[in-house]
Amino acid sequence: MDVRALTQGGVRRALVLAATLIAGALAVFFAMKAAPGDPALTALGENARPDLVAAFRHAHHLDLPVSAQFALWIGGAARGDFGQSLTLAGGVPVASLIATRLPVTAFIGAYALVLAVALSLVIGTVSALQRGRLADTIGTSFAVLGVSMPDFWLGYVLIFFLALNFPVFPSYGFVSPTASLRGALLSGFLPALAIAAPMAAVFARTLRAALLEVLHREYVTVARSLGFGPRFVFFHYVMRNALIPYVTVLGLQVRYLLGGVVVIERIFGIPGMGSLMVDGAFGRDYPVVQACALTFLAIVLLTNLLVDALCARLDPRRAA
Amino acid sequence: MLRNRTMLAGLTITLVVLFGVTAGAALMPYSAETMDFIDVLEPPSLAHPLGTDSFGRDVLTRVLVGGRISLVISLCGVALAAVLGTLTGMAAAWRGGATETALMGLVDLLFAFPSFVLALFLMVVLGYGVQDVALAIALVYFPIFARLARNLTRVLRDEPYVQAARLIGQPAPMILAREILPNILSALMVQASIAIAFGVVIEAGLSFLGLGVQPPTPSLGVIMADGREYFQKAPWVLTLTGLAVSVALLGLNLLGDGLRDLADPKLRQALRA
Amino acid sequence: MDTQQGQRGPTRREVFRAGTAIAASSLLPPPALAAADATIRAGITGYDVVNTLDPAYAALIPEYYLIWAVYNALLKFNADMQPVPDLAESFKVAENGGLEFKLRQGVKFHDGSTMTSDDVKFSFERLLDDKAPSPNKSKVSAISAIDTPDPLTVRLQTKEPFAPLLTFLANARTGTQVVPRKVVQADPTGFGRKPCGTGAYMLKTWNPNQALRFAAHTEYFVPGLPTIGTVDVPLIAEETSGVTALLGHQVDLTSTAPFADVPELAKRQDIKVLRQAGLNTRFISLNNRKPPFDDVHFRRAVSLAFDRNVLIRVVLFGEGVATSGLIPPSLKASYDPTPKPLTIYNAQRAKEELAKSKYQAGTAATMLTWGAGWWKRIAEVIAAQVNQTLGTQFTVEVNEANTVFSRLKSGDYQCSVWGWLGMIDPDEYSYDILHSQGWRNFAYYSNPKLDELLVAARRELDAAKRGQMYRESEALWIQDMPILPCFCSNVHNLLARNVSGFTQLPYSNFGDQFATLTLSG
Repeated sequence: MDVRALTQGGVRRALVLAATLIAGALAVFFAMKAAPGDPALTALGENARPDLVAAFRHAHHLDLPVSAQFALWIGGAARGDFGQSLTLAGGVPVASLIATRLPVTAFIGAYALVLAVALSLVIGTVSALQRGRLADTIGTSFAVLGVSMPDFWLGYVLIFFLALNFPVFPSYGFVSPTASLRGALLSGFLPALAIAAPMAAVFARTLRAALLEVLHREYVTVARSLGFGPRFVFFHYVMRNALIPYVTVLGLQVRYLLGGVVVIERIFGIPGMGSLMVDGAFGRDYPVVQACALTFLAIVLLTNLLVDALCARLDPRRAA
Repeated sequence: MLRNRTMLAGLTITLVVLFGVTAGAALMPYSAETMDFIDVLEPPSLAHPLGTDSFGRDVLTRVLVGGRISLVISLCGVALAAVLGTLTGMAAAWRGGATETALMGLVDLLFAFPSFVLALFLMVVLGYGVQDVALAIALVYFPIFARLARNLTRVLRDEPYVQAARLIGQPAPMILAREILPNILSALMVQASIAIAFGVVIEAGLSFLGLGVQPPTPSLGVIMADGREYFQKAPWVLTLTGLAVSVALLGLNLLGDGLRDLADPKLRQALRA
Repeated sequence: MDTQQGQRGPTRREVFRAGTAIAASSLLPPPALAAADATIRAGITGYDVVNTLDPAYAALIPEYYLIWAVYNALLKFNADMQPVPDLAESFKVAENGGLEFKLRQGVKFHDGSTMTSDDVKFSFERLLDDKAPSPNKSKVSAISAIDTPDPLTVRLQTKEPFAPLLTFLANARTGTQVVPRKVVQADPTGFGRKPCGTGAYMLKTWNPNQALRFAAHTEYFVPGLPTIGTVDVPLIAEETSGVTALLGHQVDLTSTAPFADVPELAKRQDIKVLRQAGLNTRFISLNNRKPPFDDVHFRRAVSLAFDRNVLIRVVLFGEGVATSGLIPPSLKASYDPTPKPLTIYNAQRAKEELAKSKYQAGTAATMLTWGAGWWKRIAEVIAAQVNQTLGTQFTVEVNEANTVFSRLKSGDYQCSVWGWLGMIDPDEYSYDILHSQGWRNFAYYSNPKLDELLVAARRELDAAKRGQMYRESEALWIQDMPILPCFCSNVHNLLARNVSGFTQLPYSNFGDQFATLTLSG
């Protein structure tokens, strides 16, 4: 492997990433502008008299041609200035909004991911090893059920039947992990569970299928016949190889995770990126929507890179 | 064996659901839309197994009719995504080079947006309605089908029988339609069966946020959104509708799983990528 | 005729003096500090946007909820919705509509400076300044001159009598709250995020779209208040989440409650539900310029074709009253309690009116509405009932609130569910909505007789005569049915069992009650 090729590959990837981000920014920008509605009406509410609307539009450059507005935006973005919120938090820099919201979503997302991974590792492994027995049936059924329940419905059921009857879990609100880790883990549990359930299901099914396939591979049989213990064979040969599709699916699911966050954050009143973006879209807060969409895009793209790297680590043959 | 058993369960549930949303809905003595302001928010009873909603409509009837509408929306969305995605993916893989880079660049861009965010955007831009929800679902699934079709086509492109067809000078569209499509169809169908189940969830989520189907048409999301509004008063509307949706999707998913296991192992691998 | 309305002023000042005297002589901590450690969590529900706490630029309801805690106006409303002195100690209304206010002595802003007549003058001049247009300019645009003969006297002159002015000077959604000249001038644009007023609470921290924290203003001019040291205000976007938050003891007080939940919540022992008829008006806005609503008989037919009491029952779950006009019942002086036959369901009459109109059964129209909640349900119920009675083909189009608002404003609609809330003067409920020049006149209705009457009502300073004029105006326009009045909904607050001291007013007040809140047990 020579270094030049590696750097070239890195540069190429960075270019593709940047191009995708710019294309995404362009798409979101023009899509939002094509939508009917007017931020001035949201910001001014019941006082949206024509003269005030005109003044608002002028003050925020909304009276310029769309291409000029995009030029202004991208010029600012290039300098790291993503503009100010129009209607959600008038005058607050979008960057600072994202800075307070992103850690919340990251925490909930990571929490959900950990729950999903933990659940799926247990269910997937047990189902694969106990193939066809009762444990498998239970595990598989649970997994399929998890992916069949609409996440928002599960969220409501959790609130109404768990939170209101067992005060351990707060029914509303979110405690920041910096304020109290215990509080954050408790207040984040139900929303994370609602997001994790369908993901855990997908992961468990993937892992089960991958394990079953690997279990019958030649090298596993060879390893067994060489006299390695079942534990060693399982962890060194079976699990390691089965993890490749598992990690790939994990990466793909980030896309669903971020989507699920949008609804769940609203239901549980979690001040994260998802609710920010939905509110922004409804309130026509163009700069906020724009920045949120780009952040989501960047997260997904970075996850893809991470997954590629991880798979390469797991499978030495791919690294070449 | 287990696979067969669960697949059978999935098939049974799916058939029951299909019967329910077609013949069952037609057999119900109530209308899904006509309001009756006398029997509002009746708890479940023999006459109304899932109770009535705040406009006095039988919830079971609405769930059956709404289930059909949600399924049709999802089906249309997924079908559209499958057709466009497959064409795009096959074209990209066959042509290669700049065409492939451009097409797959677009696909990857769409794929990089969180699925529900993509759907939500489309609703805000397009407005609401049955067609728009279907389009939103199509937009979510288009990149998935395009990727799948492209990966599968790439594998088959170098198969001897495809090379042979090429050598005798068959035109590309003919080769794609005659030699490649039949061989990737089963994988596409499996993906579609899973997508339809999730499409129903997307529809429900959008309608739940108030972005979905227009009244008086019932859809699963609309019924649940209604139920949420008066949950304290009539918890059965949201709870039981959601339960019904879960069971229906459970059937679809079990069926999809079974189909996937039946599929050719080579394709199974491609499905996961 | 001068009306002296400030009789309570001197008594208050005596109480105030007595209060300070006791506190000073006994050297005990003033009562305000008794619960200084206590925190109350007052959730704003149904909204999570607060853009500014500058009264001159505030526009949204949640902004005012908090402005009412941070500032005072010259006047405030008593429980009967009559304006009574607040920062003013007394006031006089001259025959020509001019107003004179005597201010309280020694009122402190949060920065410790003393409020004077100059600050009052500055606050109003800001609203009138055209360089930075204020959404609340119209509230004070009748003022032609502001005089401050001494630090405790403010005189307002108007070119002609403008009756609503007095109401607009109360601590409501009016923007006439008093701000300190020096602080604002030091940083005019930053003031909205760093507010400074005379109110019982000062802003401590502000986490956009999430929560605000307020601390007691220890030099508040009412002795003994505020009682609670800290008020946390979480912003809860979903109303139903507000209920679960209260039931789960995450908040102690909410600003609203979902209609559907109220009847069940009222039965519970562990919480308190406050409710009364609110200051709001909900109606169907008809585009009088577009078919089929360009025909008065068709408009009347539709109004007669649906039962408003069904709306109350299935949309509001009983939490409201059907109305025959735009002026809500809480504006007692101007409200007309006699039901108008044209707004009462009557299938027979509806069909007769339809027969007279140029449109027949089968006529289609699209009714705009938004969201997934009760706004959507209003349209669903009305469309279904009208179609059933008249055989029309009304359909409902659900969109987003923002899109609906912009379509209404541009006249790109046939009919739409609409409403206004929190306005405090009958003028806002009639002139703005139905005068041919009214800026909220999305019906594009024009009736010279009505215009004349509404202008005259603005000039009438005698409350009883003015009220009579509004009653006449409602009887006048209802014959043309430019909009279909539907109902007035209740306002609600949910309180945890141990919270008291909240006096609910029909305009959905909130922050102005923080000062008197107490926690027990």
